[in-house]
Amino acid sequence: MRAVTLASIRAHLPRLVASTLAIVIAVGFVVATLVLNETTKATVLEAAGAQYVDTDVVVTSDSGSGLGELVAPLTELTAVAAVDPTWQTSVQAVVPGRTGAQYLQVDSVAADPQLRWQQLAAGELPTRAGEVAVSERVGAGVGDVLAVTVYTDEGTATTADVTVTGVVDLGGDPSAGLYGRAFSTPEQAQAWGATEPTELRIAGPRRTDPGLLADEVRATLSGEDVVVRTGSEQATEQVAALTGDATWLTTVLLVFATIAVVVAGLVIANTFAVLLAQRTRDLALLRCIGATSRQVRRSVLGEAVLTGLAASVLGVLAGVGLSAGVSALVSRTESPIPLSGLSVPLYAVGVGVAVGTLTTLLAALAPARAATRVAPLAALRPTDPVPFRSRGGVARLVAGLLLVVPGIALMAAGVVGGQLLVALPGGVLSALGGLLLAQRAVPPVVAAAGRLVSRFGGLPARLATGNATRNPRRTAATATALLIGVTLTTAMVVGAASTRATAQAGLAAAYPTDVVVNGNGTELPASLVAQLGSVDGVVATTTLIGGTVTGPDGWETWALGVDPAAALPTLRSTTDTTLPETGQVALSTWLRESWGASVGDSVTLTAADRSRTLTVVAGDSDAPLLNETDLGALVPDAAGDTLWLRLADDADQRAAIDEVTDVAGAAVPTAFVTGLASERAAIDEVVDVLLLVVTGLLGVAVVIALIGVGNTLALSVVERRQESGLLRALGLTRGQLRGLLAWEAVLVAGVAAVLGVLVGSAYGLVGAASALAEVGDVVISIPWLQIAAIVVVATAAGLLASVLPARRAARTPPVAAIAAV
Amino acid sequence: MSVPVMTVPGESPASLSAAVRATDLRKTYGSGETAVHALAGVDVSFDRGAFTAIMGPSGSGKSTLMHCLAGLDAATSGSVWLGGTELTGLRDDQLTKLRRERIGFVFQSFNLLPVLSAQDNILLPMQLAGQRPDRAWMDAVISRLGLRDRLRHRPHELSGGQQQRVAVARALLPRPDVVFADEPTGNLDSQAGAEVLDLLRSSVRETGQTVVMVTHDPVAAAYADRVVLLADGRLAGEVHQPTTDSIINALRGLGA
Repeated sequence: MRAVTLASIRAHLPRLVASTLAIVIAVGFVVATLVLNETTKATVLEAAGAQYVDTDVVVTSDSGSGLGELVAPLTELTAVAAVDPTWQTSVQAVVPGRTGAQYLQVDSVAADPQLRWQQLAAGELPTRAGEVAVSERVGAGVGDVLAVTVYTDEGTATTADVTVTGVVDLGGDPSAGLYGRAFSTPEQAQAWGATEPTELRIAGPRRTDPGLLADEVRATLSGEDVVVRTGSEQATEQVAALTGDATWLTTVLLVFATIAVVVAGLVIANTFAVLLAQRTRDLALLRCIGATSRQVRRSVLGEAVLTGLAASVLGVLAGVGLSAGVSALVSRTESPIPLSGLSVPLYAVGVGVAVGTLTTLLAALAPARAATRVAPLAALRPTDPVPFRSRGGVARLVAGLLLVVPGIALMAAGVVGGQLLVALPGGVLSALGGLLLAQRAVPPVVAAAGRLVSRFGGLPARLATGNATRNPRRTAATATALLIGVTLTTAMVVGAASTRATAQAGLAAAYPTDVVVNGNGTELPASLVAQLGSVDGVVATTTLIGGTVTGPDGWETWALGVDPAAALPTLRSTTDTTLPETGQVALSTWLRESWGASVGDSVTLTAADRSRTLTVVAGDSDAPLLNETDLGALVPDAAGDTLWLRLADDADQRAAIDEVTDVAGAAVPTAFVTGLASERAAIDEVVDVLLLVVTGLLGVAVVIALIGVGNTLALSVVERRQESGLLRALGLTRGQLRGLLAWEAVLVAGVAAVLGVLVGSAYGLVGAASALAEVGDVVISIPWLQIAAIVVVATAAGLLASVLPARRAARTPPVAAIAAV
Repeated sequence: MSVPVMTVPGESPASLSAAVRATDLRKTYGSGETAVHALAGVDVSFDRGAFTAIMGPSGSGKSTLMHCLAGLDAATSGSVWLGGTELTGLRDDQLTKLRRERIGFVFQSFNLLPVLSAQDNILLPMQLAGQRPDRAWMDAVISRLGLRDRLRHRPHELSGGQQQRVAVARALLPRPDVVFADEPTGNLDSQAGAEVLDLLRSSVRETGQTVVMVTHDPVAAAYADRVVLLADGRLAGEVHQPTTDSIINALRGLGA
């Protein structure tokens, strides 16, 4: 029988290759997921944890104090070779050629060379005060002189020139692009305001066991309020803080991979069923000449295992290749996904091969069982296949309903209660039930859709409807594969649209102003307002006046005055930012606590001999926010202190912010510009990229399913060779024959797409409503255009899948088909 | 009774009595040493309103001849005329349209589309051509073939004889210039076969339909007005007003 198995694979190789494409893609997806995940982890660990790579032990303190005193006792330990206290502070710096100041985070460079982790792209690390190395984001080169401004606790500014000695490459550190970094000597960092080390990095002698050293440090520091970790523990901690929960990402990716595998399994099962149905006579002949049904089954399953194995190996290669491509592409562009190099874990290869082979084997089990039921006599009967109807399936119907009904109930409960953990199992239950029901639901829907298209599609459409419904089980399986892909893609798109709308509302509340220009103690002249108003991209401006008032606690504080009518157009949201009317003052939670006042209370503010009693409303700005008239009454000489600008949605916001920075810096050298718009845009971009990636991942499932549509059609074409011949003899033109198959593909793909979009939209809305309830008010958004695009693309792709089979069918001369009886 | 073949000169398209005719028809498969001449120069004509049977042993080329005459297959050389239309040289689409408008088919098996009802199968060629059937004629055909209460059935719900009667109805409905029947009784028991042959003959007698039937069964061929004998791709004789015995005798003469 082994010879038969091998000969059969050889004979059907072209068809098997086409069929197993689904497995190749699914396995490739699984492997690429695992490899990319591993690579991302390695990259982030390497970049974000760079400063801990050569560090054996890290000591941090939650209270942020007291670390300085621990340096001496630790240095005395014999197991410790070097201790480096890291000093961290921040400064404002002006880069030559730019007038605006930028924020720099300053870290000290270790005195001991062993603990220096900075990778230099150019120049060298600073060795004395007045020197810094900067990250690439700063935009300065070696030899440039930066004007660095530092504010003392009293608020006085001192500015000094420092020389750039080197440029540090932060590699794939995800935060590298957010703000500039500077590296100075510990003394310089302290001179700039660092008062306490943020952490102690400790190195032991060569080949120290970090775990043992950590234990020893822990013993020495017992009683102190500190956390002692090994360098790699600290790096992992850092990565987790930066990327969120890394296991969450892996889980999500693997869920998508599982979906791809399930879809591929459906496609493969269908393909095998059709392939074996066509070989009924071959198999019956084998039985006639003495093969037992066990031998037939073993031969069929052997064929499945061998094809599955070959496809899996190809899939693994494809997955690794894909990862390499993605990694190479991503590392060359600025992307929020950290990827460099390639880490191929052995388990990814093993999992890929095992998943692919097992899926193929499992998918072939049912068709193989059917094949063994072939009676030897079938070999002798003429092949006049009676269109068979799917039998019973009552158990399937009952099981499906038993899953769907409670599933929907759970989802409803999840939406009402805003509980994702209730809706999620409901979604899983109903999806499983839906899969069972799809087998029954799809064929009638296809038939109904067929009656609809028959009206205007003419005879080819009517014949196509008949063909699509004559083997309901096969049609259902083909459509189900596509249905899964479309459902999930739609759920994702709809869910993401609502998530995005909700997130945007949240972001707008958190960052209501696009750009804030602050005079830093210098009055902002009215001419600047006019200048900024004419900057390309700026659509609205308002001036807030500032003045010193004395609060109920007796301390002087800087207060701002706003004109609500003028300010409103500059704000994207007033959810968290209250614009005070006359007689009101908006205080942040922190200010309310320190003044001992709650919302609705009255507070009295004084300035010189004037005073005003105002009602407290909730706000979130650092300074008390008054109405312009109240502040003007308290401080008659209050002048323009802060500007709020709003940018056009379609403007190049980064360019606009840069221009605002330059214009403001030229007019008022101390002016400081904060571009919250770019922060919002950055977060928006992350959501966009995530959506794109996820849609792409699910697209794989759709592609696999479409291969299934093409496969089923191709096999049906072979099966219906005689019919095609008869139709051609009776006067069906080649074009009409192609149209027939096109209609069939459109029917199956279109029904799957429409059903999938309906079910998927429901899932997406349920998911968004239940998941986002705890974040805040859910904003429901349905991306009609994208949904329509999904239907059109899936249907058009189904049409495309019919092209090759149709060409093959149309090429058959009528007489060849008739003669092949 | 075997007589010399009477050929009609190809140059006279005016021979209006011929529904279909072929001149020097050749069909060769392969080339050189391995070439097989399925048709080795056949000149034949089929009278309008007549029932003609084509007979010959297996491999004599009778099916190939029918396929070429019906525009299903292209001959290697020679020409085929359907009335005043020359088939040889027509493009695939033109042939397809000609088939559905002017030729009817009854095959040995696999005659009907399993997804269509009997009625839809009968109407199929006319619908392909975008024509409406003549109601009275359709009623007459269906009554004559005894299919009235079977119209809604799918092919697998019909007996072999009923299926073949549906195929005959489909072939007769558009009133084609000629009906080609390829072993129409090959898969039927003798009684159902006799019914189908009776129907074909009565359509010739009563409505003047031209029928050309390929068969290897002398009993079936005896229903025809004339039998054309084929052997090794050549015409090998004719029998007019045949009986089963005269046909068997003629076949014996071929050495079959």
